This record gives sequence, structure tokens and C-alpha cells, in this order.
Amino acid sequence: MSAIYRDFRPWLLLLIQRRRRFVLGALLVWVTLLAGIALLGLSGWFITASALTGIALAAGIPARLDVYVPGGGIRFFALVRTVARYIERLYNHNTVLTLLADLRYRVFGYLTQLSDARLHGERASDWLSRLTADIDTLDNFYLRILVPPVVALLGVMAVSLFVAIWLPGVALLMAVALGLLWLLVTLLAAGWGFSQSFQQVVDQQSLRRLVVDQVQASAELISYQSSRWHRALITHQEAQAFSNQRQLGRKAALLNCLVTSVSGLLVVAVLWLGSTAFSQQMVTAPIAVMAVLIALGMNEAFMALPASFVKLGASYAAVRRLNQLTDEPDAYTPTAEFPGNAMPAICTHQLSLHYAQTLQPALSNIDFKLPAGKRAVITGNSGAGKSSLAGVLMGRLKATQGEVGVGGVTPWQLSADSRAVHLAMLTQQVDLFDASLAENLRIADPTASDVTLWQVLGAVALNEWAEQLPQGLSTAVGEKGQQLSGGQARRLALARLLLTNPQVVILDEPFAGVDLKTARHIAASLDQWLAKRTAIFFIHQVSSLSLLPGVEYHWHLYAGKLNQCRFND
Amino acid sequence: MVTEESLSLTSRDWLKALATGERKRLLGSALCGVLAGSQTIIILVGLAWLIDQLIVHGQSPSSLLSIFALLAGCVLLRAAFQWGHETLSLEASLRIRQRARAQLLDKLSALGPVWLTSQHSGALANQVVEHIDALEGYFARFYPQLRITLCLPLLILAVAGWLDYLVALFLLLSAPLIPLFMALVGMGAERLNRDQFVAVSRLSAHFIDRVRGMTTLQLFGRTKTAQQDVWYATDHYRRLSMRTLRLAFLSSAVLEFFSSVAIAVVAMYVGFGLLGYIEYGPSSSLTLFSGLTVLLLAPEFFQPLRTLSQHYHDRAAALGAAESVVNILNQPAVVAKESDLSVLSASSAIVLVDASVAYASRGHVIGPISLRVLRGEVVALSGASGSGKSTLLALLAGFVAPSTGECRRQVNHQYAWLDQQPCLLHGSLIDNLRLASPAATHEEMISALNRAGFGPLLAQLPEGLETLIGERGVGLSGGQAQRLALARIYLSQAPLLLLDEPTARLDLDTEQFVIKALLELAHEGRTLVIATHHPAVIAVARRHFTFEQGKLVEVLT
Repeated sequence: MSAIYRDFRPWLLLLIQRRRRFVLGALLVWVTLLAGIALLGLSGWFITASALTGIALAAGIPARLDVYVPGGGIRFFALVRTVARYIERLYNHNTVLTLLADLRYRVFGYLTQLSDARLHGERASDWLSRLTADIDTLDNFYLRILVPPVVALLGVMAVSLFVAIWLPGVALLMAVALGLLWLLVTLLAAGWGFSQSFQQVVDQQSLRRLVVDQVQASAELISYQSSRWHRALITHQEAQAFSNQRQLGRKAALLNCLVTSVSGLLVVAVLWLGSTAFSQQMVTAPIAVMAVLIALGMNEAFMALPASFVKLGASYAAVRRLNQLTDEPDAYTPTAEFPGNAMPAICTHQLSLHYAQTLQPALSNIDFKLPAGKRAVITGNSGAGKSSLAGVLMGRLKATQGEVGVGGVTPWQLSADSRAVHLAMLTQQVDLFDASLAENLRIADPTASDVTLWQVLGAVALNEWAEQLPQGLSTAVGEKGQQLSGGQARRLALARLLLTNPQVVILDEPFAGVDLKTARHIAASLDQWLAKRTAIFFIHQVSSLSLLPGVEYHWHLYAGKLNQCRFND
Repeated sequence: MVTEESLSLTSRDWLKALATGERKRLLGSALCGVLAGSQTIIILVGLAWLIDQLIVHGQSPSSLLSIFALLAGCVLLRAAFQWGHETLSLEASLRIRQRARAQLLDKLSALGPVWLTSQHSGALANQVVEHIDALEGYFARFYPQLRITLCLPLLILAVAGWLDYLVALFLLLSAPLIPLFMALVGMGAERLNRDQFVAVSRLSAHFIDRVRGMTTLQLFGRTKTAQQDVWYATDHYRRLSMRTLRLAFLSSAVLEFFSSVAIAVVAMYVGFGLLGYIEYGPSSSLTLFSGLTVLLLAPEFFQPLRTLSQHYHDRAAALGAAESVVNILNQPAVVAKESDLSVLSASSAIVLVDASVAYASRGHVIGPISLRVLRGEVVALSGASGSGKSTLLALLAGFVAPSTGECRRQVNHQYAWLDQQPCLLHGSLIDNLRLASPAATHEEMISALNRAGFGPLLAQLPEGLETLIGERGVGLSGGQAQRLALARIYLSQAPLLLLDEPTARLDLDTEQFVIKALLELAHEGRTLVIATHHPAVIAVARRHFTFEQGKLVEVLT
């Protein structure tokens, strides 16, 4: 229980940190609710009073009824109800969208702290696919879980106090019955459906994995004729999920029945008590009728509660996942600064890297020394450990054992800013953002002029292509740079790198996906740019070795081990 | 092959067909909803009658005890009908989703590996899991509520008309407005939903785009700016959408307005009528009973419509999801059906007769090819990448049906498939081996793993065969994964092996091991068809084919 609260707490605080908006939004919903109840109650009062006056007049008894005040009241409440509903919806949606911005800001802030192991771990696709959905779940929390119970409780209080002016006994009954109902449909409903609604999310993920399996293993499943076996697994999982959903749905339906039963029976009971009081002449008939109609109107405040609270476990699942992103085991902030602007040497001593959950180290006992200002190439197949080694040298991954020195400093102890300024890398998988060419380039240097951008595009032989584009530098590259070919995307990423001024550079496959002529052009540009920097190339294809400009060292990485190679030009 | 009809399936048709499958439950649910609504009418009429008796006729509450009890009974009966309404539609929605998912999974099987590799598996999983689940609200709530909305107001109108025809007339006059407002609400809500849907997904895409590129943002030290951008983008979206919301919320305000105004108008009319201020029509015969009843019924008249408008987003969500699912359902099937295979003489493993492959998107790819592979033969296929080796292998495997000609394979025979990236299931080693032989025992699995050179690794695993691998467990290197795939072949006893560059991405040790294993398999008498560049593999093949200018040529040695 307290563990659940602890998980929810930071997010709840975030959701109500805009306190004034929360209070005002809840107040508007409350006014809408009360206006509806007042409209119904006053109408009942008015009709009853009219009926009694009419009967009296017909019987020749002199009687008067002021029709203007209640008539005006009825029109007023009808208007307030409509207007308040409109404003309430507008206001609260504005709040929800503001909170969405807050939530995304907060979550993004956590994500900026994540290390490479987390960002590119095997589970990355899993959390990424759920991330926005989880944030939305929390966002919905505001209108489904936070505001309605507050409004319902305030409504019960206001209505009971109002009725207590004339009928304290009836008011007490209403307060107790609706108070208990409130507890039932919020806290108890949440507890009752918790494990099942939590399970629903877990089931969904299991089902998802099975479907991914069916898609990815479709060749094996067809050839081994085991499709039916795998399909039975899916059917079984789905049946389990559905039986869980069925139970949850029935619980919600039962709670809904409870709400209508309790509020219906309350109306009957209020009528009984009211009419008893009336027959004892303790209250006038219009007031008694009003009390009945008020009880009738309270139903509205409770209708949506069970369905929301019974699914609290699903929100908890979202919160848990978001919390997992933030509980990095070694979330310390490194502070070391890069020494000066001199060209640094790179050396490693018995460097090993072992990822959690793998049987063999990604890197083992790596020793090499690259003097300042020199260029090296490290070759290796995919999976040999190139990305891991690059990650360690860039300070993005922490070695499990051994030492690394870049310019005499251990790279993962450098502050994030210092790393960004002095170390640069062309990653194996380039990230382009859904923005224009210029915006993608200016990630490296927001102050770069258009002239500079054209220069770096020229350096990677993209200038002619870009000049042909009708929108030039403003051309959108599309999501994940999909509007560009793989080779163009790499070259754009390389051009972006050329805008920076680092001391250490790692280039992972700078020539992948480009033809020989372009590769030569890029190699020449790189030769110039790399002057006075220490650089390492990571290359898969040995055939492109001859393209590398000014390389004097060559190592080969094989299954996490590094071997010296004789360098032949 | 697929009929033209199913290829032009629209999302609405699909939803309708799904609903037809559960018509009884959905109708039952709507009926229960109408019955619950009629109980509400009875309760309201009863309340008004009781009030009239107690106040105007001076009855004591205790003399009306039985009516009170009856009313309480009606409340409980209404709850029972409501239960029926909700559980029936819940059950219908569950069954419909089960059927829809089965249909989609069948389709994915029929599309096969060739089509599936061109897709993002995460996106497909989304469609099978989330998009099918998005149908829930439509069938569980919107669909029955639409039927209720068509019935219940008429019932209320009849009761009101019986009590006071002017009130009924007032409600009736607003009745033609209901379809109008329904359309208005519908359009408003639909546009709102569509616009919001587009805007929200664009915004989410922006967010995910930045998260995905986090490495780059960190490398360039731009995380702080990007974080600010995320806030500004969302806030910008907020300001934009508030503009449309101002209009869109009018539709719900209009509904609220109608039901409030109905109460106000009826209250004023009844009040003045009872006071004798109104001289015309049925108002002279108004009583507290009839007056209160029509007052209480007036908002109920609009209630079904209001509920419907609350469920409107369910419809929008279902339509959106259905659209993406129907897109897949409309894809023409690729995989050869078992019934297309012709029977083959016992001495042949696989035969192609003038078979060619053409894709709808790319046109003619290979063929016509005639080829007979005898049992126990080792056949190597080579050729530049893109020359058609993989397509030929897919044709032999039945992943694509020949567009002309025939492919003959032994019916009901397993064959093994091995490519450069063996697929690992999310699960234990056992699950991964069962893929090749669902009935295999643990001993058989262990011996297969040992033969595949997985033994030393298995010995390191504390949980042995139960060890989870992949995303939720231990990560395997490419070489280890390939050994596991090899173990599948040993386990399956499949007489025919189709291999697509099995050694392409392996380190030297594993490469040597796999080549040795393939030779052993050939010695066992299994038939091997291997697409490969590897000279050692080609050397041991009994026959060697190569693609030259799109034609399959046998290389004679």
C-alpha cells in the first residue's frame, strides 16, 4: 500500500503543483453539478408549491405564490448549468494539456540522464513503444481520478448541509449513505480491481511479445510446420487475458449497479423520511419534494467513478514503468573537465566491458595506445564490440575493469558538457530529427550561418543535391530522416559533425552506403578536418581501408578482443 | 488466391461484419439497456405518483408502504437490467476482439516472411494488440448505446404524451432537432477526434523523435535545449487545440443546454398550469402527479443522446484502428497454400516446373525456372546480391506462391529453414527449441544442443534449458544464436534444409563449425539447398547453380 503510494507520489505532486488551476477546475465541475441539482430541486419545489397554491385557489382559499423569484431561479440555474459545463470542459482541458507539457518535460529530463546501455539496450524498443501511452495514462489521471472524487465529496457535503436546514435526519442519511458509497467506489473499487487492471497491462505486453515472435519467426514457423503450436500459445495467452478482462469488466459493472441501486434506494428513503416529516408537519411539502429531487440529482456525481477507479492498477503499471526509467543505479553526475586544448592521446589498459545479462564480455583485456594527433582504424565484424569500445572511449559507457585515458582523463568521469565539447562521434546508427536540413545541422552549432552549412554540405558532397531541392536548407528530412536515402542520412550526420570543433573524434563507418567517388571526396574533406585532432575510424569492410586518410595504426577487433594488425597501405 | 471482394474491404464494412457475428449479444445488451431505461421511467412515474398521493391526497407514508417497497424493487430490477446490459456487451466485445485478432493473425501467416520482413514488427504487434483492443469501447459501449438512443426517447415521449400532450409536443418538436444535433455532435466530435488524433500523434511523434535521438542530443550537448523544445512544442499544441476545442465543446454545451432548458421550460409550464395561469390545452387537467412526472422525464429524454456523445470517442478510436487493420487485411496473400502443392515422387525432394515469381509492387522477379532436387542432394545457389537467390529460396520454401508454373514439395513434410539472422523467441531455450519440434523431450533437446556445439554454454547456465534468452533474459551473440538454430535442425529431423547464407555474419570459429555441421547433415542423407558465397560450402555441393542475368544456370565442374 505504502509502496504504491510512494510510486505515485512524485507524479501526483506534479499533477497538483498547479494548485490554483486544480482548485478552480474542480470548483467549476462542482458548480456544474450543483447547478444541475439546484435546477431539478427548485423545479420540484416550484411545481409542488404551484400545485398546492392552485388547489387552494380552486377551493376558494386565498393563497399567493411569488412566481418571479423561483421562475428567475430556474432560468438562472439552467443558464449556469450550461455555461459552467462549457467553461469547465474548456478550462480543464486546458489544464490537462498544460500538464501534458509538464509531464513530458519531466520525463524527457529523466531520459537525458540515461546512459548508452539503457538507451540502446535490448529492452529499448519495449519502453519506447509504451512511453507516450504511459505519459497519456498519467495525464488522464487528472480528469478521471483526481478531480471527480473531490467534486463528488464536495457535492455530498454541500447538498447535505443544504438539506440539513430543514431536514437534518434526511441530511444525515444522505451524508452517511453517499459518504459510504464514495468510499466504496473510490478506495475499495481501486483495491478490488487493482491486481486485475495491473495484470491487464502485463497481459498486453506478453501478448505483444508473442505476436512479435510470430512475425519475426514466421519463416521458421512455416518451415517447421509449428505455426499451429505457436498459435495455440497466443490463443492461450489471449484467453487468459480475456478471462482477466472479463472479471474486471464484471467488477466495474457490479460497482455501476451498486451506484444506481444505492442512489435509487436513497431517493426512495428520502421520500419516505421526507413524507413522514411532512405528515408530522415538520416540513412543508415543496421542501420535502425538493429534498427528493436533490437526492435524485446526486447520482450524476458518482456515475463515472467506478469505471475510473477500478482501473487504477493500469495507471500504476504506467507509473511503475516511468519510475523504472528514472532509477538508474549509478546516476551520479561526473564533473571532471577536459585538460586544455592540446591534442590528447588515447590509451587503454586491460579494458573489459561486461553487460549485465550477457554471458560473455563485450570487450576483454583491451590494450592499445594511440599517440596524440594520430589516426587509427579498428576493424571488426558486426557484433565484435566496436560500438561498445566506441561507447567506452566516448565516456558513454563505464568499463567493468581496466583503465582508459583520453588526454589523461577517464572519459566517463568527464562532465556531460565537457564531453560534448571535446569528444565527438559519428554513431553507427545516425539519428536525424523530424525537422529541416538546417535544423538538423544546427544541432551541432545553433549559431552556424547558412554559408557555413553549405560549406559542410559541400564537404560531404551533398551541396549539389541540396541545391536542387525546391526548399533548399528548409527541406524537411522526415521522421528518422526517412525522406533521405541511408547514404544521404549518414553524410548529413557527418556534415553535422564537421560543424563541431572537438579534440577527439570517432567515426563509425563514415563511408557506409556511399559510392567510391563520393567516398574519396569525403575522405579528402575528413583529412583536412581531422588535422590536429586524434581520430579513430571503425570500419566493417576491409575494402574501404584504402580510403582512410593519414591512418597510421590498425587494430582488429574480434569477439571483444583487440589484435594489432600490420598496417599496409 | 484472394478474391477481389476481400481486397476492397472498408473499415466500416469490417466493423459491421464483426458486429454481425455477435448480433444476439449486442441486441440483448441494447434490449437490457432499454429495459433499464424503462425501469427508470417506472421509478420516476412511481415517485411522482407517491408524492402526489402523500401531499395532495394526504395519504400517510405507512399506508403506501407497499408502493415504496415496489419502487425499491424497481430500483433493484433496474440495476439487474443494467448488469445485463453491461456484461452482455462486454462479452460481445471480448468475443469480437478475439475473432478480429484471429483474423488478423491468420492474415499475417498468409502474408508470410517475405512481406513481414518489409514491415516493422513492433508496428505490426501494435496493430494486433493495441489496435484490436481499441475496438473494445465501440462494441462494449457505443454500438448498444446507439440502439438505445433510437428506442428510449420514443418510449419517454409516449409516456409524456399520455400525461400531457403539450409537453410531449415540446419534446417532439425538439425531436427532429435530435438527429440534427446528433449529426452536429457527431461532426463536431468526429472532427475534434480526428484533428486531435492527428495533432496528438504528430506531437507524440515529435517527442519520440527526440527521445530516439537522445544519443545524438547527448553527444552534441543539446539535451537541455531539446527538453525546453519538448515543453514548447506541447504548449504550442495546447494553444492551437484550445482554439478548436472552443468550438468543439459547443456541441456538448448544446446537449447540456437542451436538457437544462427542457427542465426549465417544463417546470415553468407545469407551475403556471397548476396555478391556473394557462388557459389553453391540457394544462387545466395538470396535477402534481402528471406535472412532476413530465418534469422528471424531460431530462431523461435527452439522457441517451448525452451518453452516446460521451462514447463518441470510442467510435473514432475504433474507426481509426479498423482502418489500419483493414489495410493489412486488404493485402493480397503471398504464402503458397498447402493445397497448391502437388504430390511428388518419392525420389525427389523438391521440384519447380516453369515457376516464376512476380510481386504486385515490383513486378516480375525471377523465372520461369525448372529445377528438380533429388533426395539427399546438396545444391548450392550463388550469384550477386539481389540476383534472386533469396527469392528462389523463398519460392522453394513456399514463402511465396509461384505466379506461374508449379512448385512441388513433399506434402506435410517439415523442412528446416536457416538464414543469417536466426530468430530467437522471447522465452526459454525450451520454447526456442519447441519451435522446431513441439513434442521434443528435454533429453532430445540437450543432445541436439550438444551436437550444435551449444553444450559448453549450456553447462554455464544455472537454469539450464529453462534459461530465458533474448529481451527478458540472457543475450546471445550472433554465433551462439546460430548454434541454437542449428540445434533446431538436429531436433527437427527435417529431411529438407533450405539455408540462406547461413555463414554470412559469423565469426571464424562458428563459421567453421557450421560448415562442418552442414557437411555432416548432408552425410546423414538430408537434402540441402544453400544460397551461399562461401567457396568451402560450394565445393561440397553436388550441384551448383548461379544466377546470371536473371537466369538460373547450372555450373558444371
